[in-house]
Amino acid sequence: MASQQHVLLSPAELAYLHDSLSLTPPLRPDGRSPTQYRPLSAETGILPGTNGSARICFADGTEAIVGVKAEVEKTRRKWDDDTIYDENKEETREEAEGAEGSSDWVELTVEIPGFRDDDSSTVFLAAMLSEALLADGGFVRRLVINRRFHWKVYLDILLISPPLSYPLPLLSLTTHLALLSTRLPRLKSEGDEDPFFDDDWAAAPYLYPRSSNKKVLARPPVTLLVMAVGNNIIFDPAKEELAVADVALAVSVGDVSSSSSSSSSEGEEDVDMTAEEQEGRKLRLLSIRTVDPPSRLTPPGVPNATNSAYGHAQVGEGGKTKQQMPEARAAESEAVEGVWKPPRGGAKALVMAALVQKTLQRGGVADEVFDALEGVDLG
Amino acid sequence: MPITILPPKSSRPIPSRRADPEDVPSDSDSDTSSQAGGADLDGDIPMITTANKSSPKYDSNTGIVTPGELITSDPQWMRGHGTYIPLGTKDITSSVAGTITRTNKLISVRPLRARYTPEVGDLVVGRIVEVQAKRWRVDVGSTQLASLPLSAINLPGGILRKRTETDELQIRTFFAEGDLLVAEVQQLFQDGGASLHTRSLKYGKLRNGVFVAVTGMGGGGGVVRSRRQVWTMDAANGAGQIDVVLGVNGYVWISKHVETPAEVENKTMGITNMEENVSATMYSSQNDPIDSDTMREIVRLRGVVTALVENSLRVDEDMVVRGYQEAVEMALLSSKGPEDVYLGGERGQQLAAALTGV
Repeated sequence: MASQQHVLLSPAELAYLHDSLSLTPPLRPDGRSPTQYRPLSAETGILPGTNGSARICFADGTEAIVGVKAEVEKTRRKWDDDTIYDENKEETREEAEGAEGSSDWVELTVEIPGFRDDDSSTVFLAAMLSEALLADGGFVRRLVINRRFHWKVYLDILLISPPLSYPLPLLSLTTHLALLSTRLPRLKSEGDEDPFFDDDWAAAPYLYPRSSNKKVLARPPVTLLVMAVGNNIIFDPAKEELAVADVALAVSVGDVSSSSSSSSSEGEEDVDMTAEEQEGRKLRLLSIRTVDPPSRLTPPGVPNATNSAYGHAQVGEGGKTKQQMPEARAAESEAVEGVWKPPRGGAKALVMAALVQKTLQRGGVADEVFDALEGVDLG
Repeated sequence: MPITILPPKSSRPIPSRRADPEDVPSDSDSDTSSQAGGADLDGDIPMITTANKSSPKYDSNTGIVTPGELITSDPQWMRGHGTYIPLGTKDITSSVAGTITRTNKLISVRPLRARYTPEVGDLVVGRIVEVQAKRWRVDVGSTQLASLPLSAINLPGGILRKRTETDELQIRTFFAEGDLLVAEVQQLFQDGGASLHTRSLKYGKLRNGVFVAVTGMGGGGGVVRSRRQVWTMDAANGAGQIDVVLGVNGYVWISKHVETPAEVENKTMGITNMEENVSATMYSSQNDPIDSDTMREIVRLRGVVTALVENSLRVDEDMVVRGYQEAVEMALLSSKGPEDVYLGGERGQQLAAALTGV
């Protein structure tokens, strides 16, 4: 899937970028270290009309807003489910807690300025983000109210600025924060009767519950954009970096406690969390998608040896034959030092393995991203 | 520390720096130009609603004016750029969103953000976006694409060669889509479009470096027209010389300095052979070998330019050179040593603070 509209860069620029990113350590055009993210500012709870919202702004001006809205919806009964609700309350209680959610309880829309909402790149972004959210079923399990009703969640993801770089990491981080700040009204009714809610918003619990000291116990997943140039692995690539990528991956990582603790009761969660804090966070790989980098569509550079506009003074000695087919000559050539050649073929297995490992290892990038997100004031 | 998440910035109050026009002597034409008279690029700007619309009188407290906003109806003022006088009135009205600048009795509005307006003689960096039969269309950050006719470039094999049909057929071997070039605005059309030329040894295709686009005028930041827009500077840390091209349109090119054959052979050869030799590398899209030290310093220079723009400082030779020296010194103090070239976020603010002496 094409990651972005065509990036217009000259072959000389592409060759330079590729060379500087292939150095060890790589030199990124904005001077960041390979694992460094662009500095960003974040806030939550910016939209009063939503259940949860967040805004993230990168220093280069790209900005995203996410709003989460929830409504009560009747759960469709499974075809083989013929339980009568009122009679065996004990049993239903147990089942309701272990109930499986359905992925159509979440509706996620992405809006990128300048793109139609059915544009393939927009749809692909939405698919990647919802895939991460729905991958382990932990999120939809939180939406169960009782056996007859559930929350339907609408996630509206808006990029406000023009897409200056591939917006996946930005949108994912913003969605993460919006979900963390999401609150749902407190349920007053019991069992499988029609749900009835407390109208005191201050009493509304968070979708992702917190302990008494405001610590978030579980966290939604985060999708990271990782790319490789040569043997170098680079996180959060800017547009021009992605334009020379050999391979680009969208790696979705979840906090493992988010799926395990969802069905347990409050008290147990606290215990679980403290145990986990001691041994560090348990990360779980939820999904990997390859993102087709725009580098494959870039035109190749013309080496001096075949450039008819080069060294015109020497044309006299056999330049006549060179002159005849200028366009055909530019099509394919051997790799020449300093000449851009678009990457061909797939990624090396070793590089792919290194990409995933570098993301997931303890103290790796995903870990630190989660740490940084924990520092955000959730209001 | 791969990721830093900051709380959102609160809007900074805009300093009231304009005095009331009435009590300023008329020889005060230098004060506004010396101040970086712009609003923050990132912060919100407090807008003051004109409470007394009945007697508007060029309110000096107003931080910013919006299109259609009345600036003054006092007939002693003359209207300048960014303003207009609606039919049947004598009110000077703003036509852009920006800050008011006053030069003697001339009132003009400096837009916060504007596209580049070409002027004859400007040095611009542009990118080819379209190739037509006899000309290229070049993106120079203006409202329209500039055009570069085939007759306005130096054809290989000597400056004074006549343009032939073969050249027209091979137009893509000179410049293709995406290629960057440095050129000069030769002529303006009625509609504000520009025609460029590269008929000088200084101009032509760009290679061996990186491109960075900064917004042009407005907000006090960006590239300003100055005496020297192209220079070669010595880099620190064992790197070679670096060329910097500041296009007036806000497109900046930073590259390794390559001794052109002209420079090499100038010492040995006469001026007649020079032109033939320079054309050899003129349309090459192959980079010369660049050592990693030079690449690192190029990245540092790029960081300086972006840091200047992010902190609303003007970008010209003086600022870039001083900023670069400052950045080299900052890197020495950094934990990662002189190899550290990162100048984003707080480091950029630190650099800007050091440059402005605040």
